[in-house]
Amino acid sequence: MAEKDNNSVSLTINGREISVPKGTTILEAAKQLGIYIPTFCWHPKLKPAGACRICYVEIEKMPKLMVSCATPVAPGMIVHTESEKVKQGRRAVLEFTLINHPLDCPTCDKGGECDLQDLTFRHGVDQSRFDFDKYRFIRDKKSTFDDFRLGPEIIRNQNRCILCYKCVRANTEIFGEDDLGAFQRGNITEIDTPPGRQVDSLYSGNLVEICPVGALTNTDWRYKIRVWNTQTVNSICPYHADGANIKIWKDRQNVFRVTSRRNDAIDEGWLSDVTRYGYQIAKPEGRLLNPLMKKGGSQVAVTWEEALSAIARKFKDIKDNKGGVCIGGMISPQLDCTSVYAFSKFFRTIIHSNNVDFRTEYRMLPEIPEDMYSRMASQEFSIADIEKADLIMVLDSDIMKEHPNVNLRIRKAITQKGARLYTLNPVETKTGALSVDEMVFRVGTLEALLNGVCAGLAEAGSASKKGDTAALKKCLEPHTVKDAAQISGISEERIKAFARAVAHAQRPCLIAGEWLTESSMREKLAGAVHNLALLGSLYEKGQIGLLARAANSKGAKKLGALPHPGPGMIEKMRQTWGEYPDVPGLASDRMIRASVKQELDALFIVGVNPMLTMPDGQFVREGLEKLDFLVVADLYESETTQMADVVLPLSSWAEYGDRFVNLEGRVQEFQDAIKPLGQSRPGYMIVNDLAAQLKSPLFSEKSRFADEVDTFLNENSVMPVPETLVEVRFMEDKINPEFPTPMLVVDQEHHFGHWTEKTKSLSVFCGEAAVEISSALAEKIGVVNGDIIRIESEVGKVNLPARISETIDAEVILVYRNFSASPVNILQMRKRRVDRVKITRVES
Amino acid sequence: MEKKILTKYIDDPAQIDIDTFMAHGGYKAWEKVLKSMKPEQVIDEVKKSGVRGRGGAGFPAGMKWSFVPKDNPKPKYLVCNADESEPGTCKDRVLMERDPHSIVEGMAIAAFAIQSHLAFIYIRGEFAYPAQMMEKAVREAYAKKILGENIFGSGYNLDMIVHTGGGAYICGEETSLLNSLEGERGMSRIRPPFPAVEGLYGCPTVVNNVETLACVPHVINNGAEWYSSMGTEKSKGSKLFSLSGHIKKPGNYELELGTPLSVLINDLGGGMLDGHNLKAIIPGGSSTPFLKPEQINVKLDYESLAEAGSMLGSGAVIVISDRTCMVWVIERLIHFYKHESCGKCTPCREGTGWLEQVISRIEHGQGMPGDLEKIESLCENILGRTVCPLGDAAVMPIQSSLKLFRDEWAYHIEHHRCMVKTEFAFN
Repeated sequence: MAEKDNNSVSLTINGREISVPKGTTILEAAKQLGIYIPTFCWHPKLKPAGACRICYVEIEKMPKLMVSCATPVAPGMIVHTESEKVKQGRRAVLEFTLINHPLDCPTCDKGGECDLQDLTFRHGVDQSRFDFDKYRFIRDKKSTFDDFRLGPEIIRNQNRCILCYKCVRANTEIFGEDDLGAFQRGNITEIDTPPGRQVDSLYSGNLVEICPVGALTNTDWRYKIRVWNTQTVNSICPYHADGANIKIWKDRQNVFRVTSRRNDAIDEGWLSDVTRYGYQIAKPEGRLLNPLMKKGGSQVAVTWEEALSAIARKFKDIKDNKGGVCIGGMISPQLDCTSVYAFSKFFRTIIHSNNVDFRTEYRMLPEIPEDMYSRMASQEFSIADIEKADLIMVLDSDIMKEHPNVNLRIRKAITQKGARLYTLNPVETKTGALSVDEMVFRVGTLEALLNGVCAGLAEAGSASKKGDTAALKKCLEPHTVKDAAQISGISEERIKAFARAVAHAQRPCLIAGEWLTESSMREKLAGAVHNLALLGSLYEKGQIGLLARAANSKGAKKLGALPHPGPGMIEKMRQTWGEYPDVPGLASDRMIRASVKQELDALFIVGVNPMLTMPDGQFVREGLEKLDFLVVADLYESETTQMADVVLPLSSWAEYGDRFVNLEGRVQEFQDAIKPLGQSRPGYMIVNDLAAQLKSPLFSEKSRFADEVDTFLNENSVMPVPETLVEVRFMEDKINPEFPTPMLVVDQEHHFGHWTEKTKSLSVFCGEAAVEISSALAEKIGVVNGDIIRIESEVGKVNLPARISETIDAEVILVYRNFSASPVNILQMRKRRVDRVKITRVES
Repeated sequence: MEKKILTKYIDDPAQIDIDTFMAHGGYKAWEKVLKSMKPEQVIDEVKKSGVRGRGGAGFPAGMKWSFVPKDNPKPKYLVCNADESEPGTCKDRVLMERDPHSIVEGMAIAAFAIQSHLAFIYIRGEFAYPAQMMEKAVREAYAKKILGENIFGSGYNLDMIVHTGGGAYICGEETSLLNSLEGERGMSRIRPPFPAVEGLYGCPTVVNNVETLACVPHVINNGAEWYSSMGTEKSKGSKLFSLSGHIKKPGNYELELGTPLSVLINDLGGGMLDGHNLKAIIPGGSSTPFLKPEQINVKLDYESLAEAGSMLGSGAVIVISDRTCMVWVIERLIHFYKHESCGKCTPCREGTGWLEQVISRIEHGQGMPGDLEKIESLCENILGRTVCPLGDAAVMPIQSSLKLFRDEWAYHIEHHRCMVKTEFAFN
């Protein structure tokens, strides 16, 4: 058989010829031909193990049966996958696999979707020659129940394990975790955690999905329903901007679980636990199911008619007497495209106000359209292309918590494709452990550090391309590596080494995350990133991603749900709607300030909980209290709904179908799994019903509205970037010596936003609120693990138990923002870039 | 009859000291190689000499070294496999305990041949004393600048690390050894890729047995022609045989390959213990099929033993007398293999367990009709179906025993007791 070229090999499988690249395995070649070969331990994303031996094939001129998953093709190979020898081989392997496998099918969760069941039925024999007692991994001698909980969501039954090792391989190869391993050897091998540990990484749910039998099962799914009684709908993760593709499993009006729906462009079949267990927001427990209205001091259940007419009356009243600018709206970027668009259109065409914002966890939002940040954030970014990078830079982001699938792609690029990683963060992160240099800078000095890197790049010679060192001196402050090192705390050698790495990279990839996006110095930081990109030729050679976190942040931006959408978008809105309010809008933090000053009378908040998450909790409380009228629509009761005059029940994403735009700008559709729970309604429907009461509905047929939404989504939103350096001058923020310790407010690994705290599974993972500190800092104030620390800022104080971190060395503390019991936003100041606090030990 | 090449100085207690070793001509080959030979020449010489792997596989050493790709930019590693665990084998241990420097020298020359600057010796965890000896030898070599930087002024650097395992037979298999050396579980790797191309830490690696490497300095000192003048056409040189069982003089004996087995058993070994008659011989470690007494004159070399239906293996000759139940022998062996199976692949992991259960119940008088056919069927389902040869090693003695001593097995099943009761040699 002639080869097409040097890299291509021709072989015959079951009489059919195929040509594949050198190095392809027989199994992969057979899959391409559509020829079925059974497997247990093979997985498309893991290195082949050759452990289960079920994938035997017969190759002419080779005496032994060979495993097709691990045998590379050779020219002229003639392979048979269904010969008698192969069939006997499969029967033998299945016989061996089954001899110690318990007859648990009637009570095993995996029944109906079990590889062992399927393959035995297809290839095995129905009688066994084994006449001994099956080996049991006994947990309790007095019981016949051998289940053992390895982690909050993983139950292990070692008797059922067929030792394909997929769980251990995935855990180490893909997720880089070390909380699961194999102990002992031979047929008494146990899959277990190291002593004192449990399996609770952010990706632990994947281990259950990957198990071919019922050895690893989910606590959440246990005994709930038989898989053949369920149906699946295609959906998208409603949390992270990655947009992982998922399947929701449901029966009638109940949702039972979420599994992956492999999309190699985004998730490659791996989901974060937030995605996996966060579907529980679509269950009725705890959900707001009917509208509430404040009557006589307490909130009572009312009908939709009553609620909507009350709201319409009030809004009309304010609009007519004071103007629409006295009404503001905040919407969650986790809501779908139609809802976000309808919200913006409602405010602009019916309320005549530009006070719309989806960014409700930030402070010091700009009063004019963001220029540099928008331009940088609009650049094209592809998750799959991260694999192609040879240099990856992660700036201001704990990328694992913010974008779990992007994080896995970065891991893949490093561990499988030889990419090198640099992280620039104010604190150590898990992903940073993979980096060549984990550059932990002094909190609030990133632009100084980046300026230093630019100076380093200039020394490496690339500045001569884009302007001379004089231009650098003019635009940047600091403009020398030495000064940057002094300000940021990263040594000169390290800055220069990083600059060299950037200069020599062929396919660089820069990712910036939430700490940049939420920073009050967003514009400046974006400018610094631009300068780096310019001098390092990142625009030509690679890709840049300034990533926002939520499932539809990019969609909300594209659909203009913010007060200053930029001149291009304003024009488009004006054209599409025939009108656009003149008065510039207020960003979310200004809306609260306006309310405190009694210049804003009403707020319409959808899916957000600013009482818990917006910086300066006391100020937010004051602002909401001073409002004349507060309408809140949300999934669950919250601190914010408790202050509302009208509370509307919001449907979760699983209760209707629509679209999200992920961080790549990819529009992805999700289907409805169940009907809206109780009397809840999707965001767009609430807005539309309200519009109907006030003037006229925004749309009557949803599909026509979708076309209108499409015209905005289809706009090419990539904005051009300046061709020269932009000014970036670092200014040290004033430090009050009484409050010296910088504080970072972050999400717990298994939390995202304020909904996950209400879900059963994720709240178990997260445990209690705590403050994470370095051992050095702990020693300084004299605390050990578990001691209560008082954290005090100029505006508030909170007591939290200490958790001494083994990875953090930096002089910062980390507090978690998703715990209602201890709101940490009350510590944050509205007009500060860096939160600083005083920490003391509380005498018990 | 006995050759004294590898074992020339093992009765001299001072041989473990580097000064005595060098006075006896030690490290001259290493110096010669560094000062006057090129790596390719060393490989050629070893190829011509016909040295074959002494650990059991019998693969020509020089050819294995030549598989290391020369243009690969990754570092090369030499690993000495001192995980001697094949039941009956105790030859490597005596070299490590009594002549450790000869191994260091052999490793050094081999490392040079494949242009490796870091060599490892992986010693089984139970060998505390041999490991101590090897560590002492390596220390002394470093002190005399025979290891380390710029050895003998040649500009060549070589570091050597002594590493002890955790106690697993499977780590004698080369890929499991590499995994264990890297700190992973000692489970076999699938091949391809082969260690010569992608071995330790993904770099080209050569794994050789202790005895194989101990031969190398002699080849260099005396020439390939001298070495190949001993032995047979395809099995050159001399080999250590570990003789044990119902024999008067058990121990390690170095013989020219091709020497008849009868010489080892009757002459050197002093013959059977009084009152014991020869019933079966395991010629090369417990994984090799049995020989019957009429085959006692078979020549001890790779080809002759293969022709006789067995293998030279590691050279562990276990002599079994007629006061032994062959089923008991197999029960003992399958217990070992089941215990040592790493558990990666299904046939070996489950099969050895199942075989042990069936064989055990036959030995203890509860055999059932159809058990023998079942054992044969299980053996067929394991042989050639596994990742590494442990599965084959477990199965071959069983198949051999069923073929040659079927009457004993049948007796067990029919009469629920041994045909011949095992008497222990020390009773």
